[in-house]
Amino acid sequence: MRQYILLLASAAVLVAQAKYEDIVKGPSVDWLTYAGNYQGWRYSPLKQITTANARMIAPKWVYRVPDAKRLSSSPIVYDGVLYITDTNSIYAVDARSGRQIWQWADPRAKSQGVNRGSAILGNRVYFTTADNHLVALDRRSGGVVFMKKFADEKKGTTSTSAPLVVKDKVIVGSAGGDSGMRGFIAALSAEDGREIWRTYTVPARGEPGADSWGDLIEWGGGATWLSGTYDPELNTLFWTTGNPWPDFAGATRKGDNLYTCSLLSLDLDTGKMKWHFQFTPHDTHDWDAQSWPVLLDTEINGKARKVVLHANRNGFFYALDRVTGEFLRATQLIDHVTWAKGIDSKGRPIEIAGQDPTPEGNWVCPSVKGATNWMGQSFNPQTGLLYVITLEQCGRYNMSTQVPKPMTNFSGGGATEEGGQVIVRALDPKTGKRVWEYPVTGAGRMWTGTVSTAGGVVFTGDDDGHFVALDARTGKNLWHFNMGELSTASPITYSVDGKQYVAIASATSVFSFGLFEPIEPAAAPVITVVK
Amino acid sequence: MRVRFPILALIAVLPVAAQHGRYLNESRHPSIGKPEAIAAGAKLFSASCSGCHGPDGSGGARGPNLVQRALWHPLADEAIFSAIRNGVPGTDMPPTKLNDDSTWNLVAYIHALTGPASEQKVPGDPAAGKQVYTSAGCAGCHAIRGEGALLAPDLSNIGGSRPLPVIREAILEPSKDLFYLGNESVSVTLKSGAKLDGIARNRSNYSLQLIDKSGKLHLLQMNDVKEMTIRSTSPMPGDYGKRLSKDQLRDLLAYLAAQDIR
Repeated sequence: MRQYILLLASAAVLVAQAKYEDIVKGPSVDWLTYAGNYQGWRYSPLKQITTANARMIAPKWVYRVPDAKRLSSSPIVYDGVLYITDTNSIYAVDARSGRQIWQWADPRAKSQGVNRGSAILGNRVYFTTADNHLVALDRRSGGVVFMKKFADEKKGTTSTSAPLVVKDKVIVGSAGGDSGMRGFIAALSAEDGREIWRTYTVPARGEPGADSWGDLIEWGGGATWLSGTYDPELNTLFWTTGNPWPDFAGATRKGDNLYTCSLLSLDLDTGKMKWHFQFTPHDTHDWDAQSWPVLLDTEINGKARKVVLHANRNGFFYALDRVTGEFLRATQLIDHVTWAKGIDSKGRPIEIAGQDPTPEGNWVCPSVKGATNWMGQSFNPQTGLLYVITLEQCGRYNMSTQVPKPMTNFSGGGATEEGGQVIVRALDPKTGKRVWEYPVTGAGRMWTGTVSTAGGVVFTGDDDGHFVALDARTGKNLWHFNMGELSTASPITYSVDGKQYVAIASATSVFSFGLFEPIEPAAAPVITVVK
Repeated sequence: MRVRFPILALIAVLPVAAQHGRYLNESRHPSIGKPEAIAAGAKLFSASCSGCHGPDGSGGARGPNLVQRALWHPLADEAIFSAIRNGVPGTDMPPTKLNDDSTWNLVAYIHALTGPASEQKVPGDPAAGKQVYTSAGCAGCHAIRGEGALLAPDLSNIGGSRPLPVIREAILEPSKDLFYLGNESVSVTLKSGAKLDGIARNRSNYSLQLIDKSGKLHLLQMNDVKEMTIRSTSPMPGDYGKRLSKDQLRDLLAYLAAQDIR
């Protein structure tokens, strides 16, 4: 009998854990990983909220994240609990009521900076501190299971991205590329945080690719400040890399500066690079290859392909073969691109002379914010469309002649931008062409991502503090809500007790929405206080 | 519910940076941690501060408890300096005319009084304390680095986040100051007839977030609750002062003081 009870008890524990297999299946009632599924789709099969009833969406709760000023975190949800992060802190919230269950903060962290979210496996939630510690906490109590340092903040590295949990590994990245550092992607053990492998995004001297640099190779950048995606069939990670350093002064780093502004294909087990593709060789405009790579199988030029899509800051929208890294196609993501005439048949930009930053300033499109950036794009398998936030904006790029010194907030110059128009665009992955677009008012800030659903709805935040619902097929506006402050995060959707919610972080708070329902008066239970 | 406006008022007027500042820049004033400065600060505190803040900083009629505060963050030394020098507007805390050296001595004393236990020299044997922790059954409710149970507060960082007097008081008089939210012991009967026991990590008139003894979270709506019993005493045994010898308590404190995630 006792054995039977033990068996039941252990079965119950097993049932209540977030498993790798659950993440592989993609979103259901839960939202278990940063981009929803490993392919980076930010798509949910939930369909209680539809194009027909979206006008009945109402706010359900707001959770004010203590001390938050500019949340960039995308929540994850498991078993009715929503986890949201901020700098060096994480909060577990009842996903139905918005009431806090626990919070954990490390006020002694030695760096601060944005944090983009957490990951979950078993009974643990994982996130990183700005000073590069992987923290594993019990998802139920917020108790620390382990805290492991994986990089030295004194070498310019900080950590901002949501970790990606794959099998028994937690994949973490590195930020800080605008001030000199050496980027990497590392796989840490989900069990105890020990390092399994680390792949640098900038070669060491003498390694292949090192000849594409100059004297500052040790501080070359190539930060990996956003989560990547994963193909379970190929057992391959796809990760993008940031700009070379110094950002705006290219003279000190003649060459292509491998593997910055690139997409890397890495073996999950070893971290070995299978192939790389560089979008912007020798970048001088801070056009990190950010926005994560989206994986799907589709036809390109009439041929079935395993594709990886990437909307790049440099103004172009790419399709590559994700098995081989072969360049398939690039189309213009925004209308105003002045630095390159196009992309050649090998995938290299056909650059226009005289577009590098100058001491006086050089006017170039797109702006330093890029044609798109890290905010989440989504792919909806029902419409077959990819929803990308784009920015039509140009900017002035200045180059500094100062001698570069790493870790001094020196980026080799600077950039400003003016005006600008944010446009939500639906792209056809087969052709790269636009199917619809939804321009929004605002100051050209562009920091909110998208989520799309089987209900045929795309949710996104606009450039003016509104949360909006669009028809995924047509781009027609369905509903909006004024959150009162700009959002710099991406929305998600989840379900508790058969009710669908859509949640997004504004600058200071998490908002959760659902279909309107009358709220029943609160019953008064019999409450006894025992002294 | 105990109302603690003076403490909340102090928290509210401290600049946000105060909650994070001490460690970020690591710019410690030479007085901090210096025994002579702490001793000199203790004298000043006794003469000038204890009238309001109590002889041990635990609060008095006019001044808040400096040791036990609502949301525990280490106070930034610069913020303590500024509060002593300039006073706290809107409260009874006046500005002072102490010179810089004396003010820093006072800051050094308050830092020693309120800083994390792991930063202090704590007598006792942590290894023996670990055995006390085990034999006293602490892990039946608490956890340290994933080992133990989830009902009571996690102790993985207790030394890194609480001053020694607070840890000591929590062991000896767990019900004296049920100060930290999320530690109420409750029993609930649902309208469905189900009964639950555990800790209310949070509750309102409308919802209840309860963790039970097995570590399962129950996210309830109060409309589903028929009856609820709230205990205003801690579920932690109140007799550890008798059960533990002085040496055992000393060693246990040394072990807990060493629990620091950094």
